[in-house]
Amino acid sequence: MRVLPAYLFLLVLISLSSFAAIKQADKASEIELQTVQTEFIAGHKITLRFSNSEGVEPLLYCTNSYGSTLIRPYIEGGILNYSIPKHITQKKGIVSWKLIHGNISLSGQFTIKAKPEVASMETYIGPPSIQAGGTDYTMMVVIPTDALDNPLPEDTTVKTKHQFLSTEISDTIKTKHLVAYKNIYSKKESGRMLVSSECLNINSKEFTINVMPAIPVGFSISAKRPHGYADGNQITTFETSILKDKDNNIVSDGTFVTFSISNEKNNILKTYGSTINGIATAKMIHPDYGSHWQIQAYVIGMAQSNILSLNYKQAISDFEVQFSENNRVITIGPLKSFMDQMIPDGLSVKLQIYKNNTTIESIKTTSANGYAQFKLKPDLVKNDDYTIVIQTAGLEKTFKNTTLW
Amino acid sequence: MVNLNKNILRVIIIASYIMIVALVISGISALLGYLNTGADRSTILHTELKKIDQYSPSVVWSPLTNEGRFMDNENLKAIENNYLDAWYVKHIAYKTNTTEGIKDFYTDNARKNLYEFIASNTAENISIESTTLEHHPTLEFFSEDGQLAIITDHDVVEYKRVFKDESLVLETTETSTYKVVLLLEDGFWRIRHQVKETTQETENVALALNTKHLDIQGINYYPQDSPWDMFGDSFSEAIISKDFNIIKNAGLNMVRIFVQYEDFGKANVNPKKLEKLKRTLDLAEASGLKVMITLFDFYGDYSVMDWTLNMRHAETIVSTLKHHSALLAWDIKNEPNLDFESRGQHNVTSWLENMINHVKSIDNIHPVTIGWSNTESATILKDKVDFISFHYYEDVNQLETSIHALKREIPNKPIVMGEFGISSYSGFWKPFGSSEEDQANYYKKAQEIIAKTNMQYMSWTLYDFTEIPKEVVGRLPWRKNAQKHYGFIDKKGNEKESFTYITKQ
Repeated sequence: MRVLPAYLFLLVLISLSSFAAIKQADKASEIELQTVQTEFIAGHKITLRFSNSEGVEPLLYCTNSYGSTLIRPYIEGGILNYSIPKHITQKKGIVSWKLIHGNISLSGQFTIKAKPEVASMETYIGPPSIQAGGTDYTMMVVIPTDALDNPLPEDTTVKTKHQFLSTEISDTIKTKHLVAYKNIYSKKESGRMLVSSECLNINSKEFTINVMPAIPVGFSISAKRPHGYADGNQITTFETSILKDKDNNIVSDGTFVTFSISNEKNNILKTYGSTINGIATAKMIHPDYGSHWQIQAYVIGMAQSNILSLNYKQAISDFEVQFSENNRVITIGPLKSFMDQMIPDGLSVKLQIYKNNTTIESIKTTSANGYAQFKLKPDLVKNDDYTIVIQTAGLEKTFKNTTLW
Repeated sequence: MVNLNKNILRVIIIASYIMIVALVISGISALLGYLNTGADRSTILHTELKKIDQYSPSVVWSPLTNEGRFMDNENLKAIENNYLDAWYVKHIAYKTNTTEGIKDFYTDNARKNLYEFIASNTAENISIESTTLEHHPTLEFFSEDGQLAIITDHDVVEYKRVFKDESLVLETTETSTYKVVLLLEDGFWRIRHQVKETTQETENVALALNTKHLDIQGINYYPQDSPWDMFGDSFSEAIISKDFNIIKNAGLNMVRIFVQYEDFGKANVNPKKLEKLKRTLDLAEASGLKVMITLFDFYGDYSVMDWTLNMRHAETIVSTLKHHSALLAWDIKNEPNLDFESRGQHNVTSWLENMINHVKSIDNIHPVTIGWSNTESATILKDKVDFISFHYYEDVNQLETSIHALKREIPNKPIVMGEFGISSYSGFWKPFGSSEEDQANYYKKAQEIIAKTNMQYMSWTLYDFTEIPKEVVGRLPWRKNAQKHYGFIDKKGNEKESFTYITKQ
């Protein structure tokens, strides 16, 4: 459907152009273009010369890629000379001109080509970091220009070079639509890639592409602890194996690893670490009662580890409770750890007071020097009979019908 | 007696005291009120986005088949906006020979080229008014990092006026193809390279239409209650339908109506108004009338920078209505010759020429004309319009001579008297004006001449009006009042004597 209008347009154009040619011939007796050259190299001096039989000095309209202007002639030996200004002669593209003289429409065009030399290689590379593995790539775009900032013609050969580890690769590409471009793919290994280009023996500067490791694959974790007792005091350290991507590249430093710990009550604890040289470590304090931990680490959304099981043995086997001062002072202890040593300070002890199965009071404290003590003030707990429950280190003791007075 | 006088005196003193206090208080409160006025609080943060339409040439992208990265609509729109902005700042720069805005849309290296032109044009006192009317860009390449794009802009239609020492030396339209490299810098797509690849001068040859079949016997129409605001809130299909039936029954075959440029939303035509216009044409069709639509009423800028906006306006209206069977013709502009003095004849005629070409490029079925305000101007652009149209408010006795003179100058195109009439107002503001009888005699005589010279006509107008907007004839009461009484039907809805002569007998 679009063909017919195009033909019509062509016909109109042909008829118009023949008409224009006749018109020009008519005017030839008056003013005639003497310059025959229609192709120039950028930067060359261009003077359009017209024969002038009338002694008039018409203006010459001139337009190029960036703008338009009017040029005044100078007459030399009866010849009209129009010296095209530098800002037109230096820029690549079609320049059209028109002599403005009454009804005369003498017009024409000439072409300015880029200098056949390269002065600068404007190179754009992006993205600046890509992923190892051979699928990701970066693009190098080169705009070779001459000394007057004109892009070189189509099909100019540009050589691209890049070095990666022990390989150096050189390739040729051709300019198209003013630029030349090449996609550079990553290899299996991570590292730095150096890129440069060359055109007509002029070299660009060096560019660096970071080839980053890809996402980690499955890994394993291990744990280190001073002892296996649940003393609520020592610290267990978790450590991953070296995290690597599928091509054995150690993942980038700072890769965030989440360690998720679940115990037999299905409570979940979390601790975090980020990798250095592929290894992430994280720490967790020991539980204060015998427990069984299942630990798994994740790089969220990317990789996970095996499940690690840890048992923590009960450190405190039993404890004593003494009531004094009208049963209002309750002393728990001595709290002894696995070697009968006093438990280090800070063990959590909880006291609960019930009356007819309803909680009256719930108080928490921590041990000091192997003992924990509660003082029940009369304004807090009134004189009465209560059931008192004491919990610590996963153990529980109940004292029914304890009278406070 | 003395007591009474004293009391009167007291009352006066107290009253004047109260009045003075009241005046002082109202004065102070007015001052405080004035000082408290200011910007709306919502504007404190400047969060509102203002986009003014300054330049909107037609841009038609070819389907995306670019190399490199996949292009999405948001990026393409951003590139288009910035690319057009680059053209816009260039037009302004070359018109004013200043460098404002160039650095936003041209990179360091590219802007030098423009600066050199500006410097040399300034030195030679050359300025260039230009605009581009059409762009047909193709995206050639989009870099993988989304920072570099290359487009080939095919067949850019550039209109230029070149001035030397403030006088016009050249007017030209060129069609060129450019290759453009754009870089994304600081959030702007800036032109890095621009290379003109082909160019040629454009000759606009709009297809002439055969208008021999035209037989216009019509009237200029506004509803009685909303003259010059036909498509506003008081738009009523019932009223228009009733009026169209009156016109049809009077023996006429068409109406001339007006589309106000600003009222219709300038470049972005208000769809509600357009719908009302379409409904009007539907009603005309139902009544068996044809419609001539006058575009760009109350528009008076004509500047080259306005062209693209005007074209978008015309485009929307013309393309919407061009298939309507009630449409008869397009009147590009009402009485543009009245703007010759204030806007410059050349500005106006080149605007008209461009607009005729544009309307014809969209609608090649309906003829176009220009409603010149007198017979002297009617020869302007006679080769561009499909039929000639002029308005006549001068002495009816000279009408025949004027028509003959015009026919001698334009023998080959139909000539339509697009407006004529006389006011039946005589009163306080115009004691020696015409009466209704004078008006009837005027029309009788005019219709005789019309019949004799075989003219086509549209009289002014169906109704007497009660309100005339100041944009029509200004504020002067003698003009306004005269303008109110041009109708064939008076304010009460009675046919005036002239109604007998609304058509050729």
